[in-house]
Amino acid sequence: MDNRPEFDYLFKLLLIGDSGVGKSSLLLRFTSDTFEELSPTIGVDFKVKMVTIGGKKLKLAIWDTAGQERFRTLTSSYYRGAQGVIMVYDVTRRETFTNLKDIWAKEVDLYSTNQDCIKMLVGNKVDKESERVVTKKEGIDFARESGCLFLECSAKTRVNVEQCFEELVLKILDTPSLLAEGSSSVKKNIFKQKPPQNDAATSGCC
Amino acid sequence: MKEAAGKEKREEMKEEDEENEEETLEELEGFDDFTLASSWERFISEIEAVCRQWLADGPKNLLKKGADCLGSPNNLYKVKSELKYGMKSYCMEYFFEISGSGKVVEWSIDLHNLQLSFGVKEFLLIAPISASGVVLDAPEASKLLSAVAIALSNCGSIWPAFVPVHDPSREAYIGIQNMGTDYTRRFEADRIGSQVPIKLMHLEGLYELFISKFVFSMVDFSASLFKVHFTMKLTYRTPPYDDDDGIQGGESEITESDGNSEVDNHSKTQWDDDCPWSEWYTAEDPIKGFELIAIWSSRIVENSLEMAELENASCHDAEKWLLLPILTPNSNADSKDKMTSFASQLHLLVNALNVSFEAQFMEDFISVEKASSDNLKSTPIPPPTVLDRVLKDLFNEGEKISNYSKSEYQNSRAIKGAPFESLFAQFCLHSLWFGSCNIRAIATLWIEFVREVRWCWEESQPLPSMLTNGSIDLSTCLIHQKLQMLAICIDKKVMVDKDLHKSSGGCEEGLQFKGYPSQVSESSDIDEKCDSSRQEAHHGSKINKSASDLKSKSLLKSTKIESPAQVRRGSAGVVGSMMLLNSYQRMHAPDTQDAPIMTEDMHEERLQAVEAFGNSFSFSAQLEKDVLSSDMSAFKAANPDAVFEDFIRWHSPGDWERDENEDDDKLRVEGYDWPPQGRLSQRMSEGGNSWRQLWNVSPALPASEQKPLLDPNREGEKILHYLETLRPHQLLEQMVCTAFKASADNLSQTSFGDLQQMRTKIEQLYLTMASILKHLQANHLKDKGELIDDLKRLCLVFEHVEQLLILAASLHRKLLSAPRLSKAIFADYYNFYLPRMGTSSVGNADEKEFNVRQPVRSSERQVVANMFPPPTANQSWRKVLSMGNLFNGHEPIYREIIFSLYDNFGEGQYGTSGPRSNHREIETHRMYICGTSNDLQAALSVTSCD
Repeated sequence: MDNRPEFDYLFKLLLIGDSGVGKSSLLLRFTSDTFEELSPTIGVDFKVKMVTIGGKKLKLAIWDTAGQERFRTLTSSYYRGAQGVIMVYDVTRRETFTNLKDIWAKEVDLYSTNQDCIKMLVGNKVDKESERVVTKKEGIDFARESGCLFLECSAKTRVNVEQCFEELVLKILDTPSLLAEGSSSVKKNIFKQKPPQNDAATSGCC
Repeated sequence: MKEAAGKEKREEMKEEDEENEEETLEELEGFDDFTLASSWERFISEIEAVCRQWLADGPKNLLKKGADCLGSPNNLYKVKSELKYGMKSYCMEYFFEISGSGKVVEWSIDLHNLQLSFGVKEFLLIAPISASGVVLDAPEASKLLSAVAIALSNCGSIWPAFVPVHDPSREAYIGIQNMGTDYTRRFEADRIGSQVPIKLMHLEGLYELFISKFVFSMVDFSASLFKVHFTMKLTYRTPPYDDDDGIQGGESEITESDGNSEVDNHSKTQWDDDCPWSEWYTAEDPIKGFELIAIWSSRIVENSLEMAELENASCHDAEKWLLLPILTPNSNADSKDKMTSFASQLHLLVNALNVSFEAQFMEDFISVEKASSDNLKSTPIPPPTVLDRVLKDLFNEGEKISNYSKSEYQNSRAIKGAPFESLFAQFCLHSLWFGSCNIRAIATLWIEFVREVRWCWEESQPLPSMLTNGSIDLSTCLIHQKLQMLAICIDKKVMVDKDLHKSSGGCEEGLQFKGYPSQVSESSDIDEKCDSSRQEAHHGSKINKSASDLKSKSLLKSTKIESPAQVRRGSAGVVGSMMLLNSYQRMHAPDTQDAPIMTEDMHEERLQAVEAFGNSFSFSAQLEKDVLSSDMSAFKAANPDAVFEDFIRWHSPGDWERDENEDDDKLRVEGYDWPPQGRLSQRMSEGGNSWRQLWNVSPALPASEQKPLLDPNREGEKILHYLETLRPHQLLEQMVCTAFKASADNLSQTSFGDLQQMRTKIEQLYLTMASILKHLQANHLKDKGELIDDLKRLCLVFEHVEQLLILAASLHRKLLSAPRLSKAIFADYYNFYLPRMGTSSVGNADEKEFNVRQPVRSSERQVVANMFPPPTANQSWRKVLSMGNLFNGHEPIYREIIFSLYDNFGEGQYGTSGPRSNHREIETHRMYICGTSNDLQAALSVTSCD
């Protein structure tokens, strides 16, 4: 407000998914590029990372939620104001994938306060290729069905972790309504703006 | 002076014209030397030159050169040129159509009067330029007409040309058309403005009038046969709703509140009584009635008797029915300020928001000393009686709301306001209509409102219209969230009080723990459990040490002997078939505390706190830790012999790993797997695991005995403090959001049938509102002026949608049994209205009226006919019926007839009817007649062989 902020946009991202799919590891890999066995998250964890993507200085506030059912009512409140939601599953555990479909995707629809909030489907632990039970095609199909971005990655081996966040942020940068919200200097006159378009484009990339 | 200037101008224009002409003439052949010509000849060639130019250009080029379009629905255009003859100036206009099908469509509505009268398509109209318009005496008119006729034949044009004659009110014309080499058509139109002869009021007489135009010689023409083509168009108007039926009184309640001018006083028949908005205001019915147009397409009449029959024919015999709603004259422009609607009140609320920045507290607006400006002091506040009534309405304990109904419109949720039925939304709606919705009235209402809320809190009375289902909807506005939280706090407070009263027990835990089997307030519940555990007791005799498993009443006494730590407390029932790891007991899920609820500002606080710690610090929310610890304590209490692993198996099943192949050789005891197989996941079993640390320090305590995660007394007080010290602009911002949303929610409940455009429009309105109102929640109100402007524009958008919706509702209920028709008419109106909606400027109201007639299908005719109830005795004596062609006893307001007679000129005689196909048929006579019993217009065109 008073002087120029040190970033162009502030985006709030949210990690959701069953417990043990590696949400915290993913976040740790992204924010400090390390990997270690982490204690299960209690409730919620939170990290901030400054990045420059698409020529814009961005401050990412990433909320990492606990997957336990008991915390679900609590985490529902963290959906508020999130521009991006990352739905994580474990490619070696099918139930984590089906739960995304049956539970988590519905939670997003229910609690997200952003109409245009970008969803991203992430299959983690691709390093355990031999134990894989959820195929990439299944992931792509689900992503297309529910209008998400899709990526498979491994927090352990770093594969695709950076891309995961980058893709998501680029998509947010492409969405005017989200951009306006995250902007540090909000533009007002919507009569001069075009109404936001809601294109739920699906992209699969690896 | 003016005249002189005008003349000069005209001369200049003429010069220009002449220049044009010279160019034209050079281009065109047939250049004549007119140096010696008379002024009349010069005039003719002037006309000729202009016509040649127009002919050469053709419609497309004329359009490019800027021809005027005459109204949007038809494709009629005109170009004009001014001419001078002697001392007089004339204006010659050429009317033409673009992409016309070539055929004149019968009874097409967008025909020019002359097109309709004479059955022509394109035409020339030449009239003197004078202040009074069209005044020509007969000689001047015929001279002018012959000049044009000569000019037109010189350039080989077959355009008909018309000249007005007589007094303008007569709408009389004469005209001529050169139809190729052989024929000429002459036109004549006149009008009788009053005292129409009785004969001409009836079809029979009109028929004879037509016949008389070509049967000069025959004495008794009634006996002879003429095949006269006849078509007729009748226009009926639905009778006005009888004003006398309405009950006077029932004055809008707002009147008494402030006596202001803004109340509309038409409270006779409230057509919208059951529309959702009628709770707040009465809208004028936008549809005054309908016009029914019945068209008899061409039929052949051979004698006047048939005409008499046609006059008595039922309207149902007409080939075509068209329906046109009669709308209230465009309510734009001047009448605007008087119209009361949600939009008008929202506008006032936005004004109040603008003022609200001036003071620190709401009280400042009503206190005498602090009122900042004088004009604020004089703003009226409704009297206390009204205030009382509003508060009663808000706080009266009506039916309890079990859930807020969901708007049909998905985007409603995108607006950060309170749900429609909720207390704050109702407060906002009342505020809109409280007095003149000025800041002082709002302040008065708010202060009393908060006082009432405090009373509910102090007295532990449930807040009306609020849910206590334990969750807070963060997509709503903060005040609503706070009230939600307060309602929950009151609920909890009441429960705590109750518990205190029954401190001797009564809850399940107390019952079991203290072993009062006689106290059976919840015994049925327990009995069920007993049944299931009895079975268990039979086969589990080995290790049945734990008191908690001994649920049967006979064994309860032994429970007392056990040490308290061993006693099961706070169980919510067994978990499936799960057994504890280290003891042969079924696992019980504990009663747990509700997850603490938070309003968005509390979340914000946490977020800020977390951000303050920065990135380096691995953060785990204290609140969630408390919840987890509470769960662990409760679990320990419910399962006294449980270990950490048991807790994980219940709480985080994903961290309990079992190998698939172990399933086969596990020990199965009477259906239960015991001991349970598996181990903790790696991350759970590591040394410094925070979960295990927490487990180790959590005491075994049932939820009922734990420190509450939410302290209702403390939180409730905080909320009241918030409400009592809320900054005026913060209140008004939230009120504006909620009022917009609630108003739209109210309107969108209107039933208007299946009108897709309306639905889309409402959806769009929600979107527009959401995107503008969003800026109100932003903490930085950088540009207040711009924001207020945006909001005022939003009010205009709202007004358009509101008016459209009222129309849709009115249309829907009037054509309830003909949904297709109401849909079609609405679609027409929507397309007509839409271009007007975009422009928020009100100044240049388009005078054009809606005139799209919608064909009525035969299945819908009865519905339409029902709109014309037979007139009551009261109505029928008022009118003298004289025309015939009655429809359910109603006379047409307008009757139009076209007679035409065809002949093949080859045989040279009238009245003979040779085989048509062989000869070229020509319309020899055509007569257009329109009017009522006291106004008759007739236009005749006669083709003759020269």
